[in-house]
Amino acid sequence: MPALQYGIRRTLLIPMILSAKNSFFPVGSFPKKTIGAGIFCLVLCTILFNVTLSVVTYFHEQDELGIILSLKIFQMAWILIFAMLIFSCMVSAVSSVYLSQDNEIVFSAPISTPELYFMRYTSNTIYTSWMMIVFSLPIFGAYGIVFNTPLLYWLLIVITLVSMACSATCFGLLLTVILINLFPARHTKDIILYLSLCFGVLIIILIRLLQPENMVNPDEYGNFIEYFSTISKPAAPYIPAGWAANFLSLYLLDLEIDWLLLGLILLTPFALYFLGEWAMKMWFFPGYSKSQESFGGHHKFGHRRKYKLGTWQWLFSKEAKIFARDSAEWSQLFMIAALVVIYLYNFKLLPIDRAAFSEEFITNLISFLNIGIAGFIITSLSARFVFPSIGAEGGAFYHIRSSPISIRRFLLYKYLFYVIPFMFLSLTLVIISNRILHIEGPMWWISIFTNLFITWIVVALALGFGAVYADFKSENKTVTMGSMGAIMFLLTATALQVVIIFIGSSPVYRIVRRWLNDHVLNLSDLYFLSAWVIISIVISLVLVIYYFRKGIHMLGNL
Amino acid sequence: MNGKKSPVAGIKIENLVKKYGTFTAVDDISLNVKSGQIFGFLGPNGAGKTTTIKLLAGLLKPDTGSIIINGYNIAKDPVNCKLYTGHIPDRPFLYEKLTGNEFLRFIASLYHLPTSTFDKNVNRLLDLFDLTNWQDHLIESYSHGMRQKLIMTSVFMLETPTIIVDEPMVGLDPKSARIVKELFKNHARIGGCIFLSTHSLEIAEELCGQIAILLNGSIKAVGDMETLRKEASLETSDLEDVFLELTEAEELTEVISALKNMD
Repeated sequence: MPALQYGIRRTLLIPMILSAKNSFFPVGSFPKKTIGAGIFCLVLCTILFNVTLSVVTYFHEQDELGIILSLKIFQMAWILIFAMLIFSCMVSAVSSVYLSQDNEIVFSAPISTPELYFMRYTSNTIYTSWMMIVFSLPIFGAYGIVFNTPLLYWLLIVITLVSMACSATCFGLLLTVILINLFPARHTKDIILYLSLCFGVLIIILIRLLQPENMVNPDEYGNFIEYFSTISKPAAPYIPAGWAANFLSLYLLDLEIDWLLLGLILLTPFALYFLGEWAMKMWFFPGYSKSQESFGGHHKFGHRRKYKLGTWQWLFSKEAKIFARDSAEWSQLFMIAALVVIYLYNFKLLPIDRAAFSEEFITNLISFLNIGIAGFIITSLSARFVFPSIGAEGGAFYHIRSSPISIRRFLLYKYLFYVIPFMFLSLTLVIISNRILHIEGPMWWISIFTNLFITWIVVALALGFGAVYADFKSENKTVTMGSMGAIMFLLTATALQVVIIFIGSSPVYRIVRRWLNDHVLNLSDLYFLSAWVIISIVISLVLVIYYFRKGIHMLGNL
Repeated sequence: MNGKKSPVAGIKIENLVKKYGTFTAVDDISLNVKSGQIFGFLGPNGAGKTTTIKLLAGLLKPDTGSIIINGYNIAKDPVNCKLYTGHIPDRPFLYEKLTGNEFLRFIASLYHLPTSTFDKNVNRLLDLFDLTNWQDHLIESYSHGMRQKLIMTSVFMLETPTIIVDEPMVGLDPKSARIVKELFKNHARIGGCIFLSTHSLEIAEELCGQIAILLNGSIKAVGDMETLRKEASLETSDLEDVFLELTEAEELTEVISALKNMD
């Protein structure tokens, strides 16, 4: 019954389509959130487009070598995106194919394996690649502008991007189906997560250590010919991302279409799709049956100590244990460690000696601006860890609500739990970067205390917003990070820091300039500084108290 | 339970109203549950039982009316009110990444349970519910019934004078269901009170001295079995007939006979 089968395939996609429609365009109300998210995407795309445009233009201005280097980065980006897509598809496939909540309804229905494969393949491709397609379009599009290509180039990027996303998803699904037969599903998910994180960390460290900004500096290379021949080679000729990159590079340079590569790009997703469908028929059911095994069921945890009274100790202990036992949570620490290393390493590479102003002035200026950069890192990490922490209580939050602990105290304990490690991180970033920059005198203390203050405020704001926008049904904290509440928090916290730094620039400049010139502190400068401190405290407290109270109100009226 | 003298158990609800937008889920309910009573709360789906339970557990704010539990007004003194009230919900949401024992310690610390009471109760209850060997395993590996039993353990270990229960037997095996019934009876015998919402008329008939029947957010009838029978004008019938009569499900008889006549 081919007609009926087509109907079933379409029916299987209905939950996904209707869920998306209902959340983006809720019946009877104006889609404010959707429009807001759309504008946010547009702004981000514009930023990405402009940044890429200026970087590629800069490379282009370095003659032949610059053009080749810009294309090398273009090829690396394709390969990187392809690898990221495979990993994210694998993580998502374990959840959606094997551990999804709708499995019991779908698998018990009279649906054949190919239909099931079609359903999971389509949803996985859309979920894992829409963001990559949307945000890589302006990046690759900028190349077209710099290389002055006709409009056909945009059509070619869309075709290659969609085709590569489909290939990556097929490949990711195929690997997942095979892996699940070797390990239980939850275990496989952890393994893929560790692998993808290690991959991410490695890529970030490698890119940083390679110092791509020095690639156009001929003094950096001893043997130029060898270097030139290395970078002129076409990218990975055996993978779809390499075909896409080489195909588009050729078009960018000579406006020529390589029909063989285009054929490969277009046909590979179909070939991989049928291979995946075959693999699904062969190995899906044994794997699904295996995925019912509960990870940790056979595991005993720790030795019990005698129960002792202490609400805050147990709230802390609960948070810490849940964090430590959730591999999706603690494995992110690798990423943070890599971020910290790269962040600090960059200070070592700053060409301060080549600056036009005095070295001391420049280092103090960098230290002052560093308050904002470190603050932004704290803000991003708060959005990832602190903001979702209220919603992450999930259905179990009723234990807190029905217990004799007030929401205010509960939030306070949560705050104390998170603010301590964040203070440690913030101090690490600021003190070590100040040491590298050889900062002394008032700037040392100003940067430390401002960063500490920003950390206290940002973590409090993250909790306040987290309480206001708590999503107790969300299964994934990473998804929560992309929610409207998280975006609002990011914007508010960043705007607050910009205001604090902007107001502080004048008094800090006065104090630091006098210190650098005369090594003295002037009373009137200190008055200005105090005024800045007071204004910052007042603005921040008003915001924090407002969102904390709003959060308490929202949680109390669930 | 927390070292202080426990107050006398009891629930007093007066003119309770809860609306969701324009829909009135609980419409002017007044009830009085005394110490030593197991109070059954019955009603068809969507009658407002779970909303009432959530209001009693302090999970929802009423629009109007008052709730006094163990002598404490939940609006004015929610902390003391909750300190002496245990709540067993219909769905056992738990912290998946904690072990059963860790969860019990966490709950005990929230309610300031003394160490001696914890030690005295936990092992006994875990044994009763066959959870001793599972207490150091992550909750994520527990079955639905085991989760329900863990929540029961967490509530009974607290020795709160009042317990509010929503559908207690869902997912329990016959042995555990029997144990729960005995624990309820014992709790009432020693002066506690239990507010029990259920769809199981057998359980209500077996356990509850007083029963209220809720329909469309309002109390349709309240009293012991005799009073309810009189109210339904079914002097010799069981609770099922009384319930169906009072919840205006007379048309059910026609449906049943139509089903019987089907091929």
